[in-house]
Amino acid sequence: MRTRLAIVMCVASIAASGRALAHHSFAAEFDESKPVKLTGSVTKVEWANPHIWFFMDVKNQDGSVANWGFEMGGTGQLVRAGWKRDSMKVGDMVTVEARRARDGSNNANAQTVVLARTGQRLFAGSSQGQ
Amino acid sequence: MRINRIPAWCGAMLALAITCAMDGTAAAQWLSLPLPGTPRAADGKPNLNAPTPHTADGKPDLSGIWRAETMRYNENLLPQGTDAPMLPWAAELYKHRVDTKGYDRPMTFCMPHGVPDAMTVAGLPFKILQTPGETVLLFEEFHKYRQIHTDGRQLPVDPDPAWYGYSVGRWEGETFVVETAGFKEGSWLDNSGHPHTEALRTTERFRRINFGRMDLQVTIDDAKAYSRPWTSDTLHFLLQPDTELLEHLCENNRDLGSLQQFWQGREQAAPPTTGKQ
Repeated sequence: MRTRLAIVMCVASIAASGRALAHHSFAAEFDESKPVKLTGSVTKVEWANPHIWFFMDVKNQDGSVANWGFEMGGTGQLVRAGWKRDSMKVGDMVTVEARRARDGSNNANAQTVVLARTGQRLFAGSSQGQ
Repeated sequence: MRINRIPAWCGAMLALAITCAMDGTAAAQWLSLPLPGTPRAADGKPNLNAPTPHTADGKPDLSGIWRAETMRYNENLLPQGTDAPMLPWAAELYKHRVDTKGYDRPMTFCMPHGVPDAMTVAGLPFKILQTPGETVLLFEEFHKYRQIHTDGRQLPVDPDPAWYGYSVGRWEGETFVVETAGFKEGSWLDNSGHPHTEALRTTERFRRINFGRMDLQVTIDDAKAYSRPWTSDTLHFLLQPDTELLEHLCENNRDLGSLQQFWQGREQAAPPTTGKQ
């Protein structure tokens, strides 16, 4: 449907337009120079505003497990891009490319999220423009 | 609001409505509902280049859902390559906000954007409802609203300070001119942190270019913060056809705690020397 496609493209273009955040400053919370790519199992999805957060367990090289939190855009941004609150489920294995929090915690701002099972890219945008 | 009706739309709108109804999810129906009053091509696609709609009394109709064309206005209201004529205390505070990457801007605390930057959050649209005596702006972010009175009243004298101030509007030809005063100190003019005081008065000049585009220029007049009035870049807005506002409340503000802990820790190590004199 053209209308939806137009909305998706519009949101995607906003998402790709830069590291600009309105609710809070991206640069104050996350460090553009600290990219991280992690694969793990989703443990929790908070489908809420101003930002969706999801959490996943990641196995470290020594076998221990660390729980990471990832910030996304708001619900409206993702709904307008065609996603639903159950597009990501607890137990899904996903690979996330993100920018780490400045405070050194296991929090990060998700840039891309890929479902390991199908290779499908989940969620069109990060929290830019929100 | 007068809705211009063209019979040729009906078939296309019906076809689009059926397509939407068959599409599946409730969210898709909600967000792809063909809105009446939208000029359309033969294939049902909104014609965003159609002429500016007008109300029954002949005024341009600003009604619709809009979003800023770019986040740049939200980051910095000024034309690129220019600086605001800040008084020394304002320049010092502004520098501090830039140096600390705007961590403590009001929205971090779920407080609203002010005038005009509530309109410039590109990812979160706003709706204009234009009626004969009042134009209302509904901001998706945080579920806020703003009223612009067009019933001939004057700006109030000595009002209680308010985040969005008090607004009256009038038409100068095709331009909707909005004067606002009575601001509460605390909102930032943009995310880079241009400050203001309670002396702020804004003049906004809205002009709907065609069905799909609207421009706005804002003049900032605050003699306690700036040495002279200055005018924003021309802000461009795009109509968002066939969609609706969605609920957006600040219910999951995980960012605040970590931002405060990180930045206040740094500021305690090197206290700022800013503050209005």
